[in-house]
Amino acid sequence: MAWRNDFWGGYAPSKPIEVEGGIKAKSKRGSIGDTWWSKRWVSVLESFGWSNRLDRGRRYARKGQVLDFELSTGKVEATVQGSVRKPYFVTIEIKPIAEGAWDHVIEEMSQKAIFAAKLLAGEMPDDIEDAFEAADVSLFPEKSKDIKTHCSCPDSANPCKHIAALYYILAEDFDRDPFMIFELRGRTKDDITAALRKQRTVDDESPPEPEALPAGEDAEEEEAALSMDDFWEAGESESFSVNISPPDVSAAVIKRLGTPQFWDSKENFVEKMGGYYEEISRRAIETAYGDQTGAKKRKK
Amino acid sequence: MIALHGTWKPSETIDDQGDFFIWGESSTASTIKRRGRPPKLSASKPRPHPFQVAHEDLKMVIELLEIINGNIISTKTQKDDVLLSLPTLSRSPQASPDLLRDNGNESLDKPVGLIPWKIEGLSIPPEDAISLLSSLSGAWIEHDNTVIGTDLRFWSNVSKFSLELLSKQHFVPGIVVSENGEVFPRWQYMLNDEDDRMHFSMLAKSMPPVCRAVLQNKVPNVQKAFLSDFLNSAINDCIQNWMSISEIRSKKPGISEVWLQSLTTGEPIQVHKSILKNLSKGLQSWEAPIHEIEKSGFRTSFRLEPPIEDESDFWNLRYFLQASDDPSLLVPAENVWRESKDTLHFLNRKFDHPQEKLLADLGKASRLYPQIEDSLHSPRPTAARLTTQQAYTFLKEAVPLFTESGFGVLIPPWWKKGGSDSKLGVTLNVKPKQDPKNSKGLFGFNSIIQYDWKLALGGEPVSEEEFENLVNLKEPLVRIRGEWVEVKKEDIAAAIKFFKSGKSGEMKLDEALRLSTGLGESEIGLPVGGFNASGVLSELFERLSGRTGIDELTQPGDFVGELRPYQIRGFSWLTFLRQYGLGACLADDMGLGKTIQLLALLIRDKEEGVKKPTLLICPTSVVGNWYREAEKFAPSLRVMIHHGTARVRTNKFYSEAVKFDMVISTYALAHRDEDLFKKVDWSGVVLDEAQNIKNQFTKQSQAVRKIESDYRVALTGTPVENRLSELWSIMEFLNPGYLGSAEGFRRGFALPIERYNDKDAGMKLRSIVSPFILRRLKTDPTIITDLPDKIETKVYCNLTKEQATLYKAVVKDVLMRIESSEGIERKGIVLSALTRLKQVCNHPAQFLGDSSALPGRSGKLNRIAEMMEEVIAEDDAALVFTQFSVMGNMLKTHLQHVFGQEVLFLHGGVSQKQRDQMVMRFSEKGGPRIFILSLKAGGVGLNLTRASHVFHFDRWWNPAVENQATDRAFRIGQTKNVQVHKFVCEGTLEERIDEMIEDKKALAENIIGAGEGWLTEMSTEQLKDLFALRQATVIDE
Repeated sequence: MAWRNDFWGGYAPSKPIEVEGGIKAKSKRGSIGDTWWSKRWVSVLESFGWSNRLDRGRRYARKGQVLDFELSTGKVEATVQGSVRKPYFVTIEIKPIAEGAWDHVIEEMSQKAIFAAKLLAGEMPDDIEDAFEAADVSLFPEKSKDIKTHCSCPDSANPCKHIAALYYILAEDFDRDPFMIFELRGRTKDDITAALRKQRTVDDESPPEPEALPAGEDAEEEEAALSMDDFWEAGESESFSVNISPPDVSAAVIKRLGTPQFWDSKENFVEKMGGYYEEISRRAIETAYGDQTGAKKRKK
Repeated sequence: MIALHGTWKPSETIDDQGDFFIWGESSTASTIKRRGRPPKLSASKPRPHPFQVAHEDLKMVIELLEIINGNIISTKTQKDDVLLSLPTLSRSPQASPDLLRDNGNESLDKPVGLIPWKIEGLSIPPEDAISLLSSLSGAWIEHDNTVIGTDLRFWSNVSKFSLELLSKQHFVPGIVVSENGEVFPRWQYMLNDEDDRMHFSMLAKSMPPVCRAVLQNKVPNVQKAFLSDFLNSAINDCIQNWMSISEIRSKKPGISEVWLQSLTTGEPIQVHKSILKNLSKGLQSWEAPIHEIEKSGFRTSFRLEPPIEDESDFWNLRYFLQASDDPSLLVPAENVWRESKDTLHFLNRKFDHPQEKLLADLGKASRLYPQIEDSLHSPRPTAARLTTQQAYTFLKEAVPLFTESGFGVLIPPWWKKGGSDSKLGVTLNVKPKQDPKNSKGLFGFNSIIQYDWKLALGGEPVSEEEFENLVNLKEPLVRIRGEWVEVKKEDIAAAIKFFKSGKSGEMKLDEALRLSTGLGESEIGLPVGGFNASGVLSELFERLSGRTGIDELTQPGDFVGELRPYQIRGFSWLTFLRQYGLGACLADDMGLGKTIQLLALLIRDKEEGVKKPTLLICPTSVVGNWYREAEKFAPSLRVMIHHGTARVRTNKFYSEAVKFDMVISTYALAHRDEDLFKKVDWSGVVLDEAQNIKNQFTKQSQAVRKIESDYRVALTGTPVENRLSELWSIMEFLNPGYLGSAEGFRRGFALPIERYNDKDAGMKLRSIVSPFILRRLKTDPTIITDLPDKIETKVYCNLTKEQATLYKAVVKDVLMRIESSEGIERKGIVLSALTRLKQVCNHPAQFLGDSSALPGRSGKLNRIAEMMEEVIAEDDAALVFTQFSVMGNMLKTHLQHVFGQEVLFLHGGVSQKQRDQMVMRFSEKGGPRIFILSLKAGGVGLNLTRASHVFHFDRWWNPAVENQATDRAFRIGQTKNVQVHKFVCEGTLEERIDEMIEDKKALAENIIGAGEGWLTEMSTEQLKDLFALRQATVIDE
């Protein structure tokens, strides 16, 4: 396929300068984006007829050519390493949803707590697009004109591979924080949660003024100087007891936190870590109740 | 004596892990040589601690303590030294309270300040420290002249907590960055639930200041931070050692592989800087949810509420915000939705962003338990409505997930019980095999009884029909008579099988007993939830379980004296178990009269027509005491002493023994004369001071178990339920096999309870052994009213062979000289003879004045140590009076050595100031427990009411003087009963004079009021009789 891209671009094959420490797409093959909403983002872009251009950008994204990016309301700015020494500057702007429409969307979302609950838990609600439809707008851009882009590279095609790479890197970030999509459409997480809260809150006639908290309650623990009087004395510890046994749910914290973003191994993170956690738990119990005479196995 | 101390030495650089530092403080000044005069104290040039234990000695001491990893000390320790700021007296560091320094009176001084001392010791890597420290248990606190300091005990608790966190998997991988930008992987603990947080704050609060006295950079001045530092280092070191190394296979490893590998090696992560940045950012956001709860101070909580009967079929899972440090503080979701501000105030608490917090958690929780999602389709959800099946799934599957995810869960108490109360189970019904009209004496531990099983739900029996109805409901939780009960699928299958086969049969009584206390497993595959006995057995089980009291018997007619009400109860209890052939352990506090309760049992047996003798095994030191007590309270019993060189060792023993009701012998002979004992048909075997068989492997322990009899009794004054290997050994003697194998017992009960203070195991054990142990405390309100305020007993002691020889030599010499003298000279000889003989009775070393060795040479000294052990075990305090300050010193030395605790001694040479100090210290809770006073120096006006035991080690033949001494403990303000123990050497003048005083009690005041002068008026013949040694009970071992 390489020759076709070269042909399309009209340039002699040029290799991008290898980057160490760029933002690498996690996905190594196939499509980019784990969640339905990032996949939806990619498919919306593809539906604009950019598939070939996007492919090259995807390779860029995987190699880590995007050095960094910053998202602000309605806009993303990034630097991408191309084949010349100086990285290119890329911006993507998306047409904001009108304020009135936003209010309508918020109104719609406030009817079901699940919208806010899922979003705050890091998940885009399944039926989020219904809420936007009710306000006659769309969460994702509907036509290519909704997106304005710029890249400092000489490639006149749009999207160029640098812009395309950024699209993919954005997709992976949407996986982590779905609020970013809203921000691109004009409202930040704080805007939305505050607006939703306002809708949600049952107005109590006159909410009682909170009691003043005693001053210094939040103060950090004071430093305790060594006291000579009770220098050797321990506080109450007679009733101290521990329960050394396996947890009810193994590797619960790993299951709860899920796979970290940087995990790039083929192995399943949760399984791999879970194995370690169980091994450690077993060793702790062995140490606690171990045979008195048994020689200890050590790895070192 | 050595006190072991320890302190955490945090790492000073990030690539180091820190060490645990152990050092020893000796009661004698260090032998490390120093030249010249010691320089002046100064904070800038710390001097070596003068009482520190040298490395080699320290290693030896720790090796003794070590019970798990014999190789820690040899391979992993390093010589090290630290600077510790210690409270310092004018010249040297103040001794820790755990230690008794040999140079007496420094406790009078007040420390002048915290001054650094240089201390040598051993450093151990954290993982090894965890293994070593977590193996310390209460039982190790006093050990062979070594005490574990409060600081080390504290770290031992911390180590146990580390193991708890590790076993519960409450840790996460993290990273730290060094100054030069290197990134190190570090495992970190996390406080995941209520228990973790409680344990952590309890430890932080109980940390003694000495733990933070190490002078070094990076020692945080805050308990919590210091504790945290140790926990993190310990957990990191353990995990790195325990994780199998992750090999890097690929040539160009990704960040995941590099990270994993360094998590196992602890080496810095070697990747490009920007990748590192990405990694650390990634880890931070990955771990963010954990720290969120810590930061916010509250969490989301779920409460499952069962349907209200007859009103609804649905369960409610309600949503709350809960303060993480006060689980009782719950803000209902209704209130949360009402708060429009960023902060919610509730009962003086602040909750930041309460709505968003609750929503986010509901969003997360809905992934773990989908029913929550349904409730989120309303604008302001407050609860999820659940069917019974859904509620069951929640309890069964979601609860542990929720808890581990950091949510609070409040569930109905019946679910938590976990026992068979809320489950499908079986009840065991047993009945005697014989005709129930038969006398109950037919039962024993090995008797065969009949049994059958009945199905039960929540402890209530159910018929097959009822059961089918319930099963047809097809609900995992059913309400029976108002109570919710779990019906598991596999249990239903087992129950159906059970109805088909119908289980009944025969088993041994001990098996039934084990099942009734929840120790055994039923053959049905269902938990044993109930127990019913019919016929004679019902009485047995009702009483064993304590549901009904034991019939109180009347005092046997031939008992001389009057049993107190609690003694009647004890005697009745002994009789009850004895009738069923079950072993009984009477563990009353010292002085409550275990001896006479047992004598009452023997008299009753005799009255009931028992012809066979009972064998009593006791320590040599109390053989005479037993004989005398039997003579006094149970004159109808024929008692034989099998002891001493003159004992019957041939076959004649059998024909001899059966002529008696009680044969008294000793532990040593139980083994030596085992073959003689085994051939006699005993009615019972009784062990006095049964703690003597605490080690199951000793020959005497094994020997006593082999002697067969109809019943067995153990008497002990030590709190046997707290000394678990002792408990097992005694129970194995009483009711063989009842507690299972020694190893199983150790793993199932002894270790969890002794090391980790496991409450469940403790409760379970208590319920299993309680039918067989009767222990009453002096302080028990039901006992205290039965007791007189003051109980006086004579303690008869034997002479050792050495004492007897010396005694005879003195008598021979004195009698010779008396015959050839008269007047003042004769008087003088008699008085000095009295003194010399008393000295011999006290201790040969006192008589010889040669500062020779103390242990094992005096019957009195042996006995007082034995009795003191019980005093200390009872957490009591004692006064000891002696007329001789030499003896007082010897007692102090010996008792301090045996118990590793400070013993006070007030004698004529003690200044008024020191005297006041001693009295004050003795009165303090936690002060020294033993106070020796020389009778003459005691003086008047001392108030020593903390003591409830008074020992008269030797006698002042003047009741008035003795009473005055006793009254020191027995004064206004004394709320306890006082026990007075007067020591008398058997067969010696001590006993003779004691008898004379008793005989002439009425006259005593007049005759002997003036001291010992009256004795000098006796004729030579009378004196000969007075002095002569009646040799019946000399210790020959």
